[in-house]
Amino acid sequence: MKKTIQIPLGSQHISLLEPIRFKFECENEKIIGVDADVGFVHRGVELACTRSFEFKQVGYVVARVCGLCAITHSLSYTLAVEKLLGYVANDRIKYLRMLMVELDRIHSHMLCLAHTAENAGFEALFMQIMGDRELVMEVQEAISGNRVQFDYISIGGVNRDLTSELVDLVRKNLTTLSEKMEILTGLFDNNWSLSLKYKGVGVLTLEDAYTYNALGPLARASGLATDVRAETSDFPYEALGYTMMLESTGDIHARNFVRLREIVNSIAICRNIVDNLPMGEIQEKVKGKPKGEEIVRIEAPRGELFYLVRGNGTNTLERVRIKTPTFSGIPAMMEVFKGSQYADAPAILASFDPCMSCTAK
Amino acid sequence: MFKSMVEAFKNLFKPVRTINYPAQEIILPSGYRGLIEYDKEACIFCDKCEKVCPPGAILFYQHEEGEKEYRYNPWLCIYCGECVRACPKPQEAIWQSETKQQSAVKEDGANEGWFVWEEACKKSREAYAAAKKERKPKMKSEEPLCVS
Amino acid sequence: MKIETTLPTLLLDIGAFYEAHQWHFLTVNGIDLGEGKIELQWIFSKYGVKDEVVLYYALSDYETPVPSLTGLIPSSIMGEREIVDMFGLKVEGAQRGLYLDDDSHPHPLRGES
Repeated sequence: MKKTIQIPLGSQHISLLEPIRFKFECENEKIIGVDADVGFVHRGVELACTRSFEFKQVGYVVARVCGLCAITHSLSYTLAVEKLLGYVANDRIKYLRMLMVELDRIHSHMLCLAHTAENAGFEALFMQIMGDRELVMEVQEAISGNRVQFDYISIGGVNRDLTSELVDLVRKNLTTLSEKMEILTGLFDNNWSLSLKYKGVGVLTLEDAYTYNALGPLARASGLATDVRAETSDFPYEALGYTMMLESTGDIHARNFVRLREIVNSIAICRNIVDNLPMGEIQEKVKGKPKGEEIVRIEAPRGELFYLVRGNGTNTLERVRIKTPTFSGIPAMMEVFKGSQYADAPAILASFDPCMSCTAK
Repeated sequence: MFKSMVEAFKNLFKPVRTINYPAQEIILPSGYRGLIEYDKEACIFCDKCEKVCPPGAILFYQHEEGEKEYRYNPWLCIYCGECVRACPKPQEAIWQSETKQQSAVKEDGANEGWFVWEEACKKSREAYAAAKKERKPKMKSEEPLCVS
Repeated sequence: MKIETTLPTLLLDIGAFYEAHQWHFLTVNGIDLGEGKIELQWIFSKYGVKDEVVLYYALSDYETPVPSLTGLIPSSIMGEREIVDMFGLKVEGAQRGLYLDDDSHPHPLRGES
């Protein structure tokens, strides 16, 4: 007689934001085997980038891979092409790009925290975090002119400048947000459903994190010191007060805390940027056609985003390879599910902050 | 217990954080990226905006007499503003307004109507190019006669 | 850093090089070179060191089976399933169907497809 039962989670499920299907092999309540199907929203972006669009347009195409981390996608692509064209951006452009990426990280982490709260049965906190997230969305909308698709970065610079009114708005909203973050950190630490319930659930050990190449907040919660912001020299992160946030327990609680502390760190970075914004042009002419191969890595909110761009000296690129954070995080995620309770699966999944439209591209 | 009761009572009188949308209008921030607007008088018909547009929302229809007609699909446009940056006369010939595009209804023909236009524009170009080719050899053959 | 390798010696090369506590495995990548040729790349980055990326590459064709790295690096299964889908290659232990369905195009990213 077969001793296990198969329970599917997805592709449509109340706790999921995007379509993904897990097939759990369960022994009573305990999960012993996992199988994942991730390709529900495959759109063929890589093919479109090399066939239908010219290299100057591709930046706007790859921005549509994902709604939450649109800015990191267009930034990594633009950096890769700029390196191929031999162009180095001035400090003002670098700072403005960093500002948008860090604002993006804040609101993406807040979305994830809101969902972990929701999956603990804490609807009111979900509403509250989503309400506070509007503070950051407002800033991004005012800077770039749109709420979700920023289209802020183009080859050779950024499309809009940061005026003094915008600087005031950034300062004002970030001050309000950092006050709220203190309350939120207290809640995640002391509230029964958020701290006790989440301690020791969904543990990824440090050894597993190394074996399965975990990345982003998932790895940092296990104590694996990896962050592309510290491993690349494209942006002056260290000079602007970046510190790596590490936890050691590797459970949902630790992941929440990595995110909370990263938000606080990102707020500090954003403040430093608007305080020390250098002068300079925001858009420069870049001439030439991309020839050669270039690899760019950027720390997206969920982990490392990787772009490989190869051009052959014409307007159309030869290859654009996109490797998104959730894509390479899936083996580690499947490992975490093994041995936990089926009832915890939605909460564990929400704590990974998976982005399926990134993964399936 | 008492504390949470007080908190709940206070929350009753706090202002609502959401916008009651169709009844209450959403205030867009200044600098909102809206529709692309165009002035025929200032345009020099260099076609740069058509070439850079990522979704291909700007097309020029080629009339036989050599005139060009600007055609724009506001529902295909992604409002990136690349055309404005490419324009040799930005803010005069083409500029980005702050008006938000309303959703398309069937009568607008956002898809079918545009496909017809796309096809027509492509054909008009080809026809014009063919006509030009035909005219050119004639001119060349006439030229030596004039010289001599 | 680009290092050339061949498919038969791939497991030996990467086995001698890879150490889980030092290297982060990024992904497997394929680039179509046209005329039935394909370039396969295995990309690694070093933990805690700035800008250190190592790229192993091997030239191959569509028919030759590609050895799987899953014995060394379990997370490489995702990248391997992706190249199976996108280029129609044969990789040990990786079946089709990560992104594409049975009735989809058999190899969308090949040169003249």
